[in-house]
Amino acid sequence: MRKPLVLRHPSILVFLAVLAVFTLAVTMLSAGYGTGAISTSMVKTLGKTLCLALAAVAMDLVWGYVGILSLGQMAFFALGGYMIGMWLMVARTEGIVTGSLANLPIPPTEAEISQAVATQIFGVVGSDQFPAIWALSGSLIGQLALVVLVPGLLALVFGWLAFRSRVNGVYLSILTQAMTLALALYLFQNDSGLRGNNGLSGLQNIPGLESVGQERLSVWFLWASALALGLGYLMIAWVASGKFGSVARAIRDDEARVRFLGYSVEGYKLVIFVLAAVITGIAGALYYPQAGIINPAELAPIASIYLAVWVAIGGRGRLYGAAIGAVFVSLVSSWFTGGRAPDLNLGFYTVKWVDWWQVLLGLSFVLVTLFAPKGIAGLVDLLEGLRPPKRGGAPLGPDMGALQEREATE
Amino acid sequence: MRFIFIALALMALALPAAAQAPDLGAVIAQHRGQIEKPSRQSIGPVVQAIAATGPQGAALLQAWGDRALGLRKSDGLLVIVDGDRLTDAATGADLPPAEVTLLRPNSGVRGVISDALAGAALSDPDPARRAQALDALSRRADASQLVLLRAALDDPDPGLAARKARLERLLTIQHDPDPAARIAAIEGFGGDTGLDFRAALNPILATRRVALETVPPGANVAAELSPGDDISRDAAYAMLVEAGLAPARLTPQAERAMLAQHIQGGMVGGVPLAQLGHDAARDRAWTALESQGLVQPAASEDEVTAALDRFHFLDVYAEPDQTVTDAARAALRGTETRIGLMQAADLSLDALSLASIYFLAAIGLAITFGVMGVINMAHGEFIMMGAYTGYVTQQFIADRTLSLIVALPLAFIVTFAAGVALERLVIRHLYKRPLETLLATFGVSIALQQLAKNIFGTQARPLTAPAWLDGAWTLNDIVGVSYIRIAIFVLALVFLGLYLFIMNRTRLGLEVRAVTQNPGMAASMGISPDRINMLTFGLGSGIAGIAGVAIGLFAKVTSELGSDYIVQSFMTVVVGGVGNIWGTLAGAALIGFLQKGIEWLNPANTLAAQTYMILFIIIFIQFRPRGIIAARGRAAVGA
Repeated sequence: MRKPLVLRHPSILVFLAVLAVFTLAVTMLSAGYGTGAISTSMVKTLGKTLCLALAAVAMDLVWGYVGILSLGQMAFFALGGYMIGMWLMVARTEGIVTGSLANLPIPPTEAEISQAVATQIFGVVGSDQFPAIWALSGSLIGQLALVVLVPGLLALVFGWLAFRSRVNGVYLSILTQAMTLALALYLFQNDSGLRGNNGLSGLQNIPGLESVGQERLSVWFLWASALALGLGYLMIAWVASGKFGSVARAIRDDEARVRFLGYSVEGYKLVIFVLAAVITGIAGALYYPQAGIINPAELAPIASIYLAVWVAIGGRGRLYGAAIGAVFVSLVSSWFTGGRAPDLNLGFYTVKWVDWWQVLLGLSFVLVTLFAPKGIAGLVDLLEGLRPPKRGGAPLGPDMGALQEREATE
Repeated sequence: MRFIFIALALMALALPAAAQAPDLGAVIAQHRGQIEKPSRQSIGPVVQAIAATGPQGAALLQAWGDRALGLRKSDGLLVIVDGDRLTDAATGADLPPAEVTLLRPNSGVRGVISDALAGAALSDPDPARRAQALDALSRRADASQLVLLRAALDDPDPGLAARKARLERLLTIQHDPDPAARIAAIEGFGGDTGLDFRAALNPILATRRVALETVPPGANVAAELSPGDDISRDAAYAMLVEAGLAPARLTPQAERAMLAQHIQGGMVGGVPLAQLGHDAARDRAWTALESQGLVQPAASEDEVTAALDRFHFLDVYAEPDQTVTDAARAALRGTETRIGLMQAADLSLDALSLASIYFLAAIGLAITFGVMGVINMAHGEFIMMGAYTGYVTQQFIADRTLSLIVALPLAFIVTFAAGVALERLVIRHLYKRPLETLLATFGVSIALQQLAKNIFGTQARPLTAPAWLDGAWTLNDIVGVSYIRIAIFVLALVFLGLYLFIMNRTRLGLEVRAVTQNPGMAASMGISPDRINMLTFGLGSGIAGIAGVAIGLFAKVTSELGSDYIVQSFMTVVVGGVGNIWGTLAGAALIGFLQKGIEWLNPANTLAAQTYMILFIIIFIQFRPRGIIAARGRAAVGA
């Protein structure tokens, strides 16, 4: 009998343990349930970071394991956020509108309430009607289903179109980037039905939980994010291990050979692409209630590229690397750009990190790509004493795959 | 006596040229008070009366408008001051020097005066003044001007004569009382597409929508609308309600307000308040109130239908004469075809210029990505660097033309150097890992963007085009294209030629092609692939820099300039077909024409146009994954 998954891959256990300890520690230090050493906004930032880590782990599945550098992952993330945001917005506005209409002498009809809610929500884009895509917005179950379905369907259609015509490599990357750009531009229109560039706001107020208070709600969301990250990690680790995962990695390394061996490459790619999109959508649905606002700028191509940056810095091809990268880079980023980092005085010039952080990030990204392709997770190998065989030295010929000096001599 | 003068003045207003020339002195005496203290509202008749007196009156008006009319201090005689010279305003006789108080009419009054002068100026011996007068006339033309114009139709200058004739016909269309003359004038224009002609026709064809029980005979009806088809039933009924011809329908708001007025002991018409959250209960309460006579019965659906059947809904021309409106409509229809063709031509010019912008932005990429297969996300930032180089050059060289001439090669040098540095430091190590090239160059891109922000700030910097590039080449009212866009088109052509020359006619091009096709074989032939790659990448980057200067001339120079074009540039190369400049050209043309075409279908929304364009490209890639012009043979393997 095979050993259980977690024993075959002890890194899973370590990851889950660290996650649990982290969540527990934050809870103990939070304002809602503990000493209050960590402010509520910090708890939210940490919760959001966990969601980003989940998106990064899903990105790693797609990129690190199947070799599809998808530069449109944040489109799925934001779509998940939009789907849950629709319910949050309608439910909350309904509460407010019902409250104000109840003071009228004649009780309002349902049509009147829904009309007032629509006016309230869509007044900013000059409309007083619910667009058709809001049909399910009244029901939490419906919108939760859409959180999974909409990113999944988009990935299915897009992936099917792209994979069946054998678009791959950088072409696929550019195409995914175009997809998220098209979606962002579409959502920026006022008549897209999702409030144009105003986006959806006030999402941090959860209808029915007004009495809980933000300091406790933020911890709840932290728990939910941690749970989602843990489960998502387990699931992706399960998919990536075993036969399925082996085929996926083989596709990454030599797609044509796998195809000649008789595997349906497109099928494998599509399953993984859709799964990653769904997980990313769920991460987004947890992220935006903590962020409080979502607008089309979240879908800008740059956001997805950042996701790839995190995965690369963390170390792609291993799931914990992606999570570490996302947590590390996004926290360091917010530290530097939040103005909390002390200025660096060089004597002739004072480096303000708010201005220079991007430059540093860009350059460190180049350096990581050049010199540490394994990223931060490569340190784990170093600790374990794993060294890749040194194939270094100059290539003997200019062709692709030419033997390198040491390979030839050893 | 007074009445006679008023009548005279009115006559002068209506038919100034036909009026008999009365004595200027008498007119001045009559309107003395108004002349000294004129007001914009009442001065019109006075000015017309003076204008009607002949050349001396015109001289008086001219002086008055120029603030050269004054009163002699000794006796209050109206005089014209011309430097040191004084003349009697009424007779034109020279006067000895004397103390004068100048009259200072306000700008409103001077406007009235200059309009009146326009008539006289139409026959002025100076052609410049005649042209000026025509301009004034065409801006503000009314019936009275028509007579003025007809009196002054002869003109020694053929250009001015043609303008006068055209203006006369336009005024005839609008103001002549004789329908036959108007129709003749309309038909005289043929298929003319001038804005002025269409502007003259539009008021004739203006309609207003009315609801009438019986159509009066002689009404010039444009169209009869049937409710439900041409006009929605709600809108039609709303017209009736607005005109007071039918009782208003019960809106939910009105029903609610009325019900609220009749709350008695927690009930409305016997229905408890708590139940009134449903439409059926509200209707029951309303019916109950109706039967008690407390509320007016609202119009029912049947009554609405009956009312709609009873009335005719018409679009009626304001112009009473049907023959005129028919002629105008026919003329307008005739122009529409020609206008449509011209709009298509204009749209094509727009699309062509957009295509050349995309081509320019993509041509550098066609070299680095298309020929070398290196995906350079920092390409957009090289474009930005070129634009900023242009901006910095302008800070040092004030002369716009010279600075542009300096900036173009300078931008090439700067971005060539940057490209070579990028190739040597980063890309060289990643030739076998294209996806990582993408990410590393993206790192460079965000670093460069932020660097530009730190140096130049976030606000847009001006890169001003030389004066000879200002303005536009206009064929007529519809077709026109700005000189900058023509320059960019020419620049794109020059680069196309340059690319073809370098690739097909020079040693470098030969070596580049050799290295791309088979680096091993090329190296065996004594070509250094390293050196060639470096130079090729530098060349592509340098061209991006020059494109940056060109794009900076019409777009805002910001640190985001490049990223605005990067996705479109990649699209252009990918759609066109990698590794083939004609493919890039085709891709740029396809994307440019497509975007303009979609914008034309949905003019209000350029965002949607871009969305649909990208969607189209995604689908297009499905059918031609290798682009419009696919690379064949060995080259395809590398790409």
